[in-house]
Amino acid sequence: MIDLGALHTQVRDILETGEVRAVVGWRRGSRGMLAEPVTIATPEEAETLVWDPTCFHNLSLTLVEERKKPSWRPGKPIAVVAKGCDARSLTVLMQENCFRRDEVYVIGVSCAGSGVLDERKLAQRLPGVEPDSAAFDGDAFVCATAGGEDRIPARELMADRCLECRDAHPKLNNVVFGEAQPRAFDPPFAALARFEQEQVGVAERWQFWQRQFERCIRCFACRSVCPMCYCEECVVDSINMAVGADTTAAEKANRIRWIERSASRADNIGYHMTRALHLAGRCIDCAECERVCPVNIPLRLLNNKLEREARVAFGYEPGASIDLPALVASFRDDDPNHFIR
Amino acid sequence: MSAQTPYEPKIVAFLCKWCSSAGSDLAGVSRIQYPANATPITVACSGGVSPQFVLSAFHKGADGVLVSGCHIGDCHYMEGNFHARRKLYLVKELLEFTGVEPDRFRMSWVSAAEGAKFAQVVRDFVEDLRPLGPQDKLKAERP
Ligand code: SF4
Ligand code: SF4
Ligand code: FES
Repeated sequence: MIDLGALHTQVRDILETGEVRAVVGWRRGSRGMLAEPVTIATPEEAETLVWDPTCFHNLSLTLVEERKKPSWRPGKPIAVVAKGCDARSLTVLMQENCFRRDEVYVIGVSCAGSGVLDERKLAQRLPGVEPDSAAFDGDAFVCATAGGEDRIPARELMADRCLECRDAHPKLNNVVFGEAQPRAFDPPFAALARFEQEQVGVAERWQFWQRQFERCIRCFACRSVCPMCYCEECVVDSINMAVGADTTAAEKANRIRWIERSASRADNIGYHMTRALHLAGRCIDCAECERVCPVNIPLRLLNNKLEREARVAFGYEPGASIDLPALVASFRDDDPNHFIR
Repeated sequence: MSAQTPYEPKIVAFLCKWCSSAGSDLAGVSRIQYPANATPITVACSGGVSPQFVLSAFHKGADGVLVSGCHIGDCHYMEGNFHARRKLYLVKELLEFTGVEPDRFRMSWVSAAEGAKFAQVVRDFVEDLRPLGPQDKLKAERP
């Protein structure tokens, strides 16, 4: 169990002493039970931070966004409240030299024996009810509704990634709240294994994915929410063609567009396959893409698939260490060769 | 195209300049007979074949994509083919996972001396592609 008071004290201290210039955390949202990301810069605001099962956002994104602003200046570190998965994404960002280790102060929060809830599962469990708050309580979530309190086993509401989580205790941290605790939920890649059992042949797989990809409206929410999608120019944008006085209309028209921006089945597939490949060895399974998708595309399956292949074939574990070389910038002499003629 | 025209699979073949491209030349000058379905694109090294090239070839309507480089240990740039092997393994896995027939993507190591092997690789590929028919899963719908 996390002592929120102790976390507040810690946050107040590091802001007061000026050890950090700001703290990124979660506060109560303005509607219903949901927490929302917030950046605070004064010790007085420390008390507004919360920790509950709706703290699903991966706050390393806030840091990445901050880094991209023209106003970004190096200086005192910024603190981020990070769950196990968020800490892994910070590790990857440091591995990629987005941040130096001393630029980020990691306030780890251990999910210990539970995790965050999945709003879609909650909506199924309490149809038509919008709880006012959700709280951890041992192996259950307590949802307060107008009609009273509902104590629901965490297992039934937890996000799939939390059920399958291996590092609920943030490894990368300056300070950590909550204990490391053994977990007994699903084995890693359980949802992926279920999918593979249900959709066996090539034809079934295609049927399934075609139905998914057709729905994509290319809102790019999955990309916007991804801390690893920080490229200045995404492959689907191709805006950076240098246009001079003598650039002809034909040159402009024929500039390379790998994938169109607007929705069509083939281009949607191209986008999602490209994104999965760009995230291979980098995606640490925060599953934010899947959470924000307005049309429920199971994006986590794609990323999990490549994560598992990288683990099985190359012994690679994303987010394990800052010193790890990137998955596709390294190789081993005994990488699989059986598929090559 | 008339309905009578027999289906001929179109293959886009990314061949590294130092080995496989030279191997395909050797097949040519040795007058080895092999099907003309492959459109070769010479690249500096197999390690330079981005997964994007593969996806893009399918997007533009390729029925099969071949990537071929020097044998492991023989890459002109020492490690290029190690990188190719790792990256393209992931591409292969992803294609299968999403329901694209595994036989549509292929890799081979063909040296400059292996004209006969190159011809065989293309021959086999064409035979494996034929029963699959045209590739329209990743192909752009636009005309
Ligand atoms: S969030 Fe969903 S609908 Fe939007 S681009 Fe991503 S997959 Fe498509
Ligand atoms: S999809 Fe690829 S290119 Fe686009 S932002 Fe993400 S990592 Fe960058
Ligand atoms: S030069 Fe042939 S594979 Fe690198």
